[in-house]
Amino acid sequence: MTHTLVQSANIKCWSCGSQNELHAQLCTSCGKLLPPVAADYFALFGLPRRLTLDVPTLEKQFYRLSRRLHPDLYAQASEQERQWSLEKSSLLNDAWRTLRDPIARTEYLLELEGIALEEQSRNATDAARAAGTDKQQIVPPDMLEEVFELNMQLEEARMAAQSNSSDPELTENLRAAEKNYSAQMVALHTQLEQLWAAWDRAQASGDATEQSVVKQGMVALLNRRSYIRNLVRDVRQALDGAACNSNGTTGKG
Amino acid sequence: MAYSEKVIDHYNNPRNVGQLDKASTEVGTGLVGAPECGDVMRLQIKVNPDTQVIEEAKFKTFGCGSAIASSSLATEWVKGKTVEEALQIKNTDIVKELSLPPVKIHCSVLAEDAIRAAIGDWKKKNGVAEPAAVAAH
Repeated sequence: MTHTLVQSANIKCWSCGSQNELHAQLCTSCGKLLPPVAADYFALFGLPRRLTLDVPTLEKQFYRLSRRLHPDLYAQASEQERQWSLEKSSLLNDAWRTLRDPIARTEYLLELEGIALEEQSRNATDAARAAGTDKQQIVPPDMLEEVFELNMQLEEARMAAQSNSSDPELTENLRAAEKNYSAQMVALHTQLEQLWAAWDRAQASGDATEQSVVKQGMVALLNRRSYIRNLVRDVRQALDGAACNSNGTTGKG
Repeated sequence: MAYSEKVIDHYNNPRNVGQLDKASTEVGTGLVGAPECGDVMRLQIKVNPDTQVIEEAKFKTFGCGSAIASSSLATEWVKGKTVEEALQIKNTDIVKELSLPPVKIHCSVLAEDAIRAAIGDWKKKNGVAEPAAVAAH
């Protein structure tokens, strides 16, 4: 998924030989389809690696590019061109799906910027094993306690729902939790928006120190967000009385 | 996604679900989480103070089938081992045993973290020296 971006290169048209910008899709001289080049999703849309994006504009661009690259247009073309059209269309679709969603966009940017959360976690575990100690958790322990406690309550609520009994106090607790965590989701989003703007400023000015600080901030917020998102989802489900699971575990993943 | 037979077996018949007395000096508790998916896992061990053998292990996991299977397997494996032996369990051993696909490797990492955290807690309670924790980031 990660590609190295070469910014200053040109691409020569295979058909008429004229030079095109690296991320041109069609030759500007003869209009032939150009071969795919390794590009990240931002570059595919001709965008810098910024996080504040106008989605309606992006959408227009997506449709414009889609129309140009669509495999139907190349049904009569050479095998090679048909293949390129397929590859490019599929990459374009992935790029659009990723960039239109601000959270997926942020995760993708962090990945491009070399932050692989899972790999870091695995490496930290390896390091802890080598040092003969336990790993310091990424999420604060009190938050883990909170998540665990609430999951216990959710399990109780599911069991109560299964036996058609109800516990008014528990329901009240869950309602309060739903309110609390929904508010936290909103607050997290506001914080993320601030970091997106901060990232764009640091990216524009090329301030590497600031970029690094903002990246770590985004990682911390996204980690918190995973837990809170799941809690909101599960609490709502329990309040709807929809989720029933016989062995007392929440199915996900 | 297709789970392996072993994962399904542990998921349907999880071993050692439950809890031990957190306050007991013989009990170590590890509570860990995988932010990638929002899973939380609690693993507890009861250690014989004379032999340092883990006599009892319990877990409670809120997460996907692989996370449940990984922690269920972890409790089976630590039982009967000494604390030092249990520290040798690697997440890759769990991956192998359960045939976890690459996207579920973090579940096995979580299980190893839980074992280490439980043992760390027990050591702290019993005044066994251990090096400082290694930061994840």
